Amino acid sequence: MASVSEAHPETKMAPLYKNPTTNRMRSLLSLAGWGLFLTILAWSWQGAEIRPLALVTDAGNMATFAKDFFPPDFTDWRMYLEEMAVTVQIALWGTVLAVIFAVPLGILSSENLVPWWVYQPVRRLMDAARAINEMVFAMLFVVAVGLGPFAGVLALFVHTTGVLAKLFSEAVEAIDPQPVEGIRATGALGVEEVIFGVIPQVLPLWISYSLYRFESNIRSATVVGMVGAGGIGVLLWELIRGFYFARTCAVMLIIIAVVVAFDLLSQHIRKRFV
Amino acid sequence: MIKIQNFTRSFGSHKALDNVSLTVNRGEMVALIGASGSGKSTLLRHISGIMAGDKNGGSIEVMGRMVQQNGRVQRDVRKTRAGVGMVFQQFNLVDRLQVLTNVMLGALGRVPLWRTTLNFFPKNVRALAIESLARVGIAEKAFQRASTLSGGQQQRAAIARVLTQKAEVLLADEPIASLDPESSRRVMDILAELNKKDDLTVVVSLHQVDYALCYCPRTIALKDGRIVYDGLSSALTPAFLRDLYGAACESMFTGTVDKAKVHAGTQQQAILTLNPVAA
Repeated sequence: MASVSEAHPETKMAPLYKNPTTNRMRSLLSLAGWGLFLTILAWSWQGAEIRPLALVTDAGNMATFAKDFFPPDFTDWRMYLEEMAVTVQIALWGTVLAVIFAVPLGILSSENLVPWWVYQPVRRLMDAARAINEMVFAMLFVVAVGLGPFAGVLALFVHTTGVLAKLFSEAVEAIDPQPVEGIRATGALGVEEVIFGVIPQVLPLWISYSLYRFESNIRSATVVGMVGAGGIGVLLWELIRGFYFARTCAVMLIIIAVVVAFDLLSQHIRKRFV
Repeated sequence: MIKIQNFTRSFGSHKALDNVSLTVNRGEMVALIGASGSGKSTLLRHISGIMAGDKNGGSIEVMGRMVQQNGRVQRDVRKTRAGVGMVFQQFNLVDRLQVLTNVMLGALGRVPLWRTTLNFFPKNVRALAIESLARVGIAEKAFQRASTLSGGQQQRAAIARVLTQKAEVLLADEPIASLDPESSRRVMDILAELNKKDDLTVVVSLHQVDYALCYCPRTIALKDGRIVYDGLSSALTPAFLRDLYGAACESMFTGTVDKAKVHAGTQQQAILTLNPVAA
């Protein structure tokens, strides 16, 4: 449909110029839309209890609080780095497991490859995996498999599978069907059509998405520890609760350094594939 | 080799193929001509079972095996397809794969799944693929990505894929429509050679009638999904085609094919009377 309106813009545009009432209707509608949006903003202001004045009145408190953070206390830096390594390990395994599962699940939720009675249920399942935050899954898995990094791995794995399956299937739905048809014409099996016709086309995107999710999983892995699912989050949570702000600051600086390093690294790798 | 009986395919109320019946014998080289939208591609895609016809829409058999009947593609169509090579206007190679891999994919129909999944093709398939590439004259391109080849080279790689497939029938869907005249001639030369030397049955849809005249002894002309001519290509004069297609046929002559090869008018008259379908 898009190509039709592109090819003949006059067929769509012409009535707008000729008919002033349509024009007026359109501007009224857009005005109403903005009104609605502003109303929602105002309503949410109340719900979120936004008090900008607090930033001014409590400025003294905040200055004292901020002062406690500096200078950062790196006495236990060895332990911090060890915990940070565990955090990266959690993110790595959570992502790898998710990629392994997202490949078949992504293909099974692509409407150009499977019938609706396959992709609909699979998509809904992935929606559910995606809708619930890693932290919630982390709390559940801590109960199921006990405190520790494994609960974090499982939490990241389930959530990331939901995200990646959706992204993977969107890439698959955007492929060029012609090479696939070329392979089908050789008498190939459906699986072979996917392996040789679909996957080579989507692989750069899939790699890029997976790396991007690895980046964001490192960030997530730093917080799943707060509910006991391993990694540097455990440490962070204890330091904050114990008011050791100088040490908290050291941990936060380490987190920032590692996250930035991995973001840069993965950006670099992604550029090679796209 | 190909037997189509009373075949009909509709898209809504529009009949893309209207009661088409035809038989192609082993070793024939047949041109399928017609203006855009006349049903050439649709017919070829139905022959390989990629598309299914109407309910009660007739049947298509290839190499004595039923491909589809009354709108139902046979369950074992894969086995039939393995013997039917297909070449497309847009080449339909997988851009990011090596040319050699693309060519080896022709063997998917006969290599077991576990081998193909692991990208572990038997040595003889690899050898045949390289040999096929050499036959179409692009052996030196084997280890490049398909996307790095020119259009003509990609089309030759697609033909090499059909050779690796060991197909007995070659369906070519506008194989030269996106190529320059030089590449077009090369591709048509290769098709003609395979037809003569390998006894490959070739059905090639062409937009340009002069290529049909030059390369295919027999031509089937489609108009609005119906066969309007089925007979010797030599009988197709510009005047006759104008009768069939009206002014629309002007674009079907490119003037790039050697005019000397086109037969003289007197001969055509004689043949016309021999072909009642044309009347």
